[in-house]
Amino acid sequence: MAPPPASAIADAMNAPGNPRESQTNVDIMAVTKGFHWPWLIALLFALSGVGLAAATLAWQTYEGLGVAGYQAPVFWGVYIITFVFWIGIGHAGTLISAILFLFRAKWRNAINRGAETMTVFAVLTAALFPLIHIGRLWKFYFLLPYPNQRYLWVNFKSPLLWDVFAVNTYLTISLLFFLVGLIPDIAVARDRAVGWKKAVYTVLAGGWQGTGKQWKAHNRTVLHLSGIATPLVLSVHSIVSWDFAMSIVPGWHATIFAPYFVAGAIFGGFAMVVVVMIPVRRIFRLERYITDYHFENMSRFILFTSLICGYAYGAEYFIAWYSGVEFEQTSFWQRAFGPYWFSTWCMIVFNVVMPQLLWIKKLRTNLPFLFILCFFINLGMWFERYVIIITSLSREYVPAAWGLYIPSTVELIVLTGSFCWFSMFFLLFLKMFPIIAIAEVKELEIHAKEHGHGGAH
Amino acid sequence: MATLVSVYELPSDVANVVRKLKARGFEDLTTYSPAPFEEIELAEDPRPSKVRAFTLIGGLAGVVTGFGIQIWMSMDWPLKIAGKNIAAIPPMWIIGFELTILFGGILTVLGLFGLGGLYPRPLDEHYSPRFSAEEFGVVVRCEERDVAEVEALMRGHNAKEVNLAPSH
Repeated sequence: MAPPPASAIADAMNAPGNPRESQTNVDIMAVTKGFHWPWLIALLFALSGVGLAAATLAWQTYEGLGVAGYQAPVFWGVYIITFVFWIGIGHAGTLISAILFLFRAKWRNAINRGAETMTVFAVLTAALFPLIHIGRLWKFYFLLPYPNQRYLWVNFKSPLLWDVFAVNTYLTISLLFFLVGLIPDIAVARDRAVGWKKAVYTVLAGGWQGTGKQWKAHNRTVLHLSGIATPLVLSVHSIVSWDFAMSIVPGWHATIFAPYFVAGAIFGGFAMVVVVMIPVRRIFRLERYITDYHFENMSRFILFTSLICGYAYGAEYFIAWYSGVEFEQTSFWQRAFGPYWFSTWCMIVFNVVMPQLLWIKKLRTNLPFLFILCFFINLGMWFERYVIIITSLSREYVPAAWGLYIPSTVELIVLTGSFCWFSMFFLLFLKMFPIIAIAEVKELEIHAKEHGHGGAH
Repeated sequence: MATLVSVYELPSDVANVVRKLKARGFEDLTTYSPAPFEEIELAEDPRPSKVRAFTLIGGLAGVVTGFGIQIWMSMDWPLKIAGKNIAAIPPMWIIGFELTILFGGILTVLGLFGLGGLYPRPLDEHYSPRFSAEEFGVVVRCEERDVAEVEALMRGHNAKEVNLAPSH
């Protein structure tokens, strides 16, 4: 065989008709291309919501937290509720990516990117709320230990400080996990892009070529990140729960809080993945990759974690009664039959009663039903945090100090804005990067081809 | 020196040809794969990845930093809280744990960048976008006299194509 000139290699390898483009690449990269009306409408809606919330926040910053409806005895309101809600939503991504990876649950491959994306943007949204809640945004750095002229250091015995470290660690590790998984897929985009897009993808792909050396380092990195992210995800919502459980407020001071919060976070997070992925699958025609099988598995998770939540709700009431502590008993009586009864019963019906329908197999793969159910679960999970925070603070030890908290318009606009903020990032991501992990789907497809059978992604 | 670039459909063929090539002493080879396959990884280099050392070093640095800053800062501004020791150890486990994970994670990713050569740079001369589609590549650098043998090995393991280029 006579050696051809070096350039002939590239010519031969890339001759028209020679490269067999992967259908997976074509289908998944199609999401980033072309024009989709529903996407544009959703983005415009999200941008409007973010704009309105930003203007409202500017007004609140100028006027002070009084406009946010904070008044005695409730000084942790919608902002803290929404912080806990979004941190919880962020848990499904790491669960799907890290824990299911360690268990070698291959069905995660088609949904892990969507869930990881959701995690990063949910934690990013959550991280805004402590800053919004402190009112003086420009003093946020007081939360961090830094050398200062007063020789003061932060209080390391405070769960609020633990939260600062936990949330920032979680945000960083989730982001790293997400970016590491994205690198091979950015290389796919780079190889098919032209012009300025190719230049951007080339920088972001960082020289990825899928060599044996690169895959080896990549696989170990994903394995190690999974190994360390698994205890992290369990710790983060446990630490968030200790913001409450370390106090002596009736209804908060309970040892069940950490597992209760973690199970609730996974429950709500999975519900949000379903709410987000059903329209994405439909609008971008991804039915070949995100199948009924995935939704059925997620439904099983939702059902299982719903049972844990139901057990935790029951255990809380039982312990309140069994403890014989009058303040505890009163607090829980007030939850169910006091002025906030509506939120408590919404929480129970949406989070425990309605998910029991998922015992019916047909409903587990009925996507319109799942979408509606998961929407209500998210509402129920928000109400769960509302119940925990508001009922306990407004009904503490001294009846003379009891009060009634009603969220203000400012808080509700900022709450709505947080959903728009999250959606805005998610929608922009959809048009820039692959929403399904291409390399991981191909791993399954090529294995299926090799062993002569199809397989669920 | 010559360079042979071969293309395959299946990861098992890649793993087999890599094993054969290495057994015949052709160690200077590179594989390209559109997805991670353990069989290729083991055939090419069965040794454990050095990424684990980065994770360990990061984790240890994190736990030392976590406890170190807390003990030092607590002693630097002593404040008795709830009758506990100034530098009470039990609550420090939480931030110590978080920083172990944080530093371990960051170092792991830096390890990936270092070991995988992940920084903006020109792609290999023989890399093809086909390797980010569904095909696999094996590139071997060998002496001119070994070209026929390497090509026969490649074709014997279901290579769809074998192309030859002179190395620089």
